[in-house]
Amino acid sequence: MTDTVARAHEAGKTFANPGVSGAGQAARPAPLLAVHNVEVIYDKVFLAIKGVSLEVPEGAIVALLGSNGAGKSTTLKAISGLLGPERGQVTKGTVRWRGQDITRLSPPARVRLGIAQVLEGRRVFEHLTPEENLIAASTPIGNARRVRELVQMVYDYFPRLYERRNAKAGYLSGGEQQMLAIGRALMAEPRLLLLDEPSLGLAPVLVEEIFRIVQRINQEQGVSVLLVEQNARAALDVASYGYLMEDGRVRMDGPAEVLKANPDIQEFYLGGGAGRTSYRDVKHYRRRKRWLA
Amino acid sequence: MTFLAELAINGALVGLMYALVASGIVLVYKSSGVVNLAQGGFVMAGAYLVWAYIARLGLGLIPGILAAAASMGALGWLTERLALRRMIGQPVIMILMLTFGLEVVLRGAVPGALGADTKPMPIPISQAPVWLGDILINRTYILGGAVAVVMVALLAVFFRTRAGIAMRAVSDDHLAAWAVGIPVERTVALSWAVSGAVAAVTGVLWGAVQGVDWSLSLLLIKALSVAVLGGLDSLSGVVLAGLIVGVFESVISGYVDPFVGGGTREVVAAVVIFLTVLIRPYGLFGREVIERV
Ligand SMILES: Nc1ncnc2c1ncn2[C@@H]1O[C@H](COP(=O)(O)OP(=O)(O)OP(=O)(O)O)[C@@H](O)[C@H]1O
Ligand SMILES: [Mg+2]
Repeated sequence: MTDTVARAHEAGKTFANPGVSGAGQAARPAPLLAVHNVEVIYDKVFLAIKGVSLEVPEGAIVALLGSNGAGKSTTLKAISGLLGPERGQVTKGTVRWRGQDITRLSPPARVRLGIAQVLEGRRVFEHLTPEENLIAASTPIGNARRVRELVQMVYDYFPRLYERRNAKAGYLSGGEQQMLAIGRALMAEPRLLLLDEPSLGLAPVLVEEIFRIVQRINQEQGVSVLLVEQNARAALDVASYGYLMEDGRVRMDGPAEVLKANPDIQEFYLGGGAGRTSYRDVKHYRRRKRWLA
Repeated sequence: MTFLAELAINGALVGLMYALVASGIVLVYKSSGVVNLAQGGFVMAGAYLVWAYIARLGLGLIPGILAAAASMGALGWLTERLALRRMIGQPVIMILMLTFGLEVVLRGAVPGALGADTKPMPIPISQAPVWLGDILINRTYILGGAVAVVMVALLAVFFRTRAGIAMRAVSDDHLAAWAVGIPVERTVALSWAVSGAVAAVTGVLWGAVQGVDWSLSLLLIKALSVAVLGGLDSLSGVVLAGLIVGVFESVISGYVDPFVGGGTREVVAAVVIFLTVLIRPYGLFGREVIERV
């Protein structure tokens, strides 16, 4: 471990849980989400994450960074309960929601508690219209009037979805589909939004627009966000705290400012090095050399 | 000309009744992507149950039909719970074999338990034909066609309700449906239950047309050809396909049978399956696969 990494780690410990101020260790209330030492095995043989721990405090935006195959999506699925349909299993550790152990809860039960995941690759219901996508996702809401209010709220955040509300969702643009996927997750009135690579394949302007809206949702609705990204710069701009995963483990964590200032992170994830400006170069470089390997 | 019109009109009414059998297949396919090859057996079992509840247990007509619909709904639900849920992730051919196995079991077990001889469906429809000008129309067909139209319309309305939209969402993307809190397994079970109940009502109509015995299960072939032509997941497609198959087989057999000694009806359905698969594998209204990059 390099010095800088160790420093960032220390800093992380000091500044961890930015939502809680002043309270002593004993009086600290349980965070909204606490993942403790979770291990996930796919198909009974493949060890995908190896003891991941992280926290999301109430009201925070937390970034989860890392390159391809680091285990980011797996971590999110362990939180939302979607490992079952993927033949994966949490074999160790716990996922706690406001202190309550939810490691074995069914996905719909977790959504009712307030956890909604936006899957990698958007995964809108292609043959349904955007409006039907939203209504389909309102299953946990009992009251029909509330459903209409929520649909309206989503349209307010994403006016473009309103314009295209009667088209087939499969024919929306990538950006519109991402908006729909986020809007759809809002239909369950979540307290925590798990976003898996919302910037994937989108033009930078669009990424900026979507991240701004996510920030507004966080501030106006008080929804906490766990944001998985390979686009570390965009993620650390909106997040207050970040975790960096590598090879199934959390390698580093700390306040966003500290991570952004970390030279290793700059080199690997912010494309900072001199003369390296094209994204393609960064990607190539990232593939060749592995973090702390 | 009168002869042709008579064949066409009666054929269209029969075609609507085929569409009703096929709608049971569509319902399950829409939610889970499984083609239920036991649908013929379901219709036969439904007809037997209506007969048994009315003729053996002495229930009234409507209570008898409702009781049979409830029983068949339970059978559909159990089929999903006990058999299909275990098959999740298995190759499609295994699942098809499972449903076909159920068809064979029903064909043997139900007549075995309730009597193999042909029984009259105990509903009061006068055998006197209806005259439309010079055209002779079978009264049972009129009732059957009307009930089929009403049932399919009800199903179409159902698919616009929240539960129905959620069901279509499940058919689009299981994982995304889980992620937004739709109880996927319960939704699929519900589609099997509704399909069982529809089979019971269908059984009443077809039992009234041709009597109650094992041969009702042969409707599977007709229903499959109609469902495949319609596109497997489209209700309007199934209605149109039902009309096409019904009219063609009626007209063709009406003109050709006297020369070849009968049997062309069955051939028409088989030819329809062949031609659809060769020319339009997605059927008339099957949903296209939406591909984006
Ligand atoms: N359903 C699955 N079955 C088997 N192995 C899987 C499955 N899903 C993921 N894996 C493996 O688990 C590891 C972690 O994958 P994961 O999708 O969590 O990574 P990630 O950090 O999200 O990567 P990316 O940035 O490419 O999305 C990878 O080696 C991957 O191949
Ligand atoms: Mg991923």
